[in-house]
Amino acid sequence: MRDYWLSKLFFDLQSPALAAEFRAERDKVLARYPLEPSVKDAIARVDVPFLAERTNAYLLRYYFFATGMKDDEFIRRLNG
Amino acid sequence: MASLVGAFAASHGPLIIREWERVPPEQKKRMAAAYKELGRRLTAAKPDVLIVVSPDHWSNFFLDNYPAVCIGVGAVNDGPPEPWMKDFPHRTLAGDAAFASHLVDEALRQGFEPAVSHHLKLDHGSCIPLWRMELDRLPKIVPMLLNSIEPPMPSLDRCYRWGELLRKAIESYREPLRVAILGTGGLSHSIGEKTMGAIYEDFDQETIRLFGGAQDGLIRYLDEKLPTHGNGSEEVRNWLVAHGAAGGRGFELVDYLPVPTVIVGCGFAAWRIQAHN
Repeated sequence: MRDYWLSKLFFDLQSPALAAEFRAERDKVLARYPLEPSVKDAIARVDVPFLAERTNAYLLRYYFFATGMKDDEFIRRLNG
Repeated sequence: MASLVGAFAASHGPLIIREWERVPPEQKKRMAAAYKELGRRLTAAKPDVLIVVSPDHWSNFFLDNYPAVCIGVGAVNDGPPEPWMKDFPHRTLAGDAAFASHLVDEALRQGFEPAVSHHLKLDHGSCIPLWRMELDRLPKIVPMLLNSIEPPMPSLDRCYRWGELLRKAIESYREPLRVAILGTGGLSHSIGEKTMGAIYEDFDQETIRLFGGAQDGLIRYLDEKLPTHGNGSEEVRNWLVAHGAAGGRGFELVDYLPVPTVIVGCGFAAWRIQAHN
């Protein structure tokens, strides 16, 4: 299953400028994307398995790399 | 007439750049030597043009439109957009518009329908092997972006046929170009999924062995095993293109080593090219 707008957010966050803005003002960036409340909540809770079901695996990894999560932690949460 | 003068394959995982200093010295030495050996052979083949077959890692395409195959027909393409690729020594890479357009025309004549782009960003998939091969001079680069990232992906058999098609198209080009092919990516790795970090060495070794036999057996094996051996392993499609171009005759394995630090079963191959009768 692909959540288009979640995937679009992750795709856009490949831009270093947007990634920096996201880290500084996450809600402001999220407001530009028509995300379902459950998806916004999963982003806030860092619910990796929930997000993984809704996007491409490479985009998921890029997102957590861009937001500063170490691979070990990412893998731990992915399997949580 | 143009001719195929070389076909190669090499891994391209991002951590080959980002975690290079953490790779254990003996593995780093082998990887560096393997890339350099491919670079030496590529240079010795004196190609005017190098067709680089790689996936697009979400650098050009998105869910709006993700082509199975896109050929870069521009006179120039951009270097890698990833910030961690900023030290790659080329911000732009010259293409060959006339030759690339010929490939597209021939593909359409043969019942293949690639997308085309007049200006691409060539991400780490294309550029890490070029970088690590330490080429003194880059030939013109014709990108062939082949989807092995987001389903649906082209079939494995179709990728092999793409290789055969490229060979015919090269040999029907009227200019006396020397053309080489570089398939990038693989072998086994797993990215952004629960098995992330896994390297399936047995799968890699069997895949390498089967490249030496008939393509039917190779493709059957890959069709069966790919779904459970890491999403990054899907990039073996790019090796199949090189294999098809080389006539399916098997390659010389320059090296293979699983490198946990870069989470890739790293493979390096050079095909034996024989002139067509």
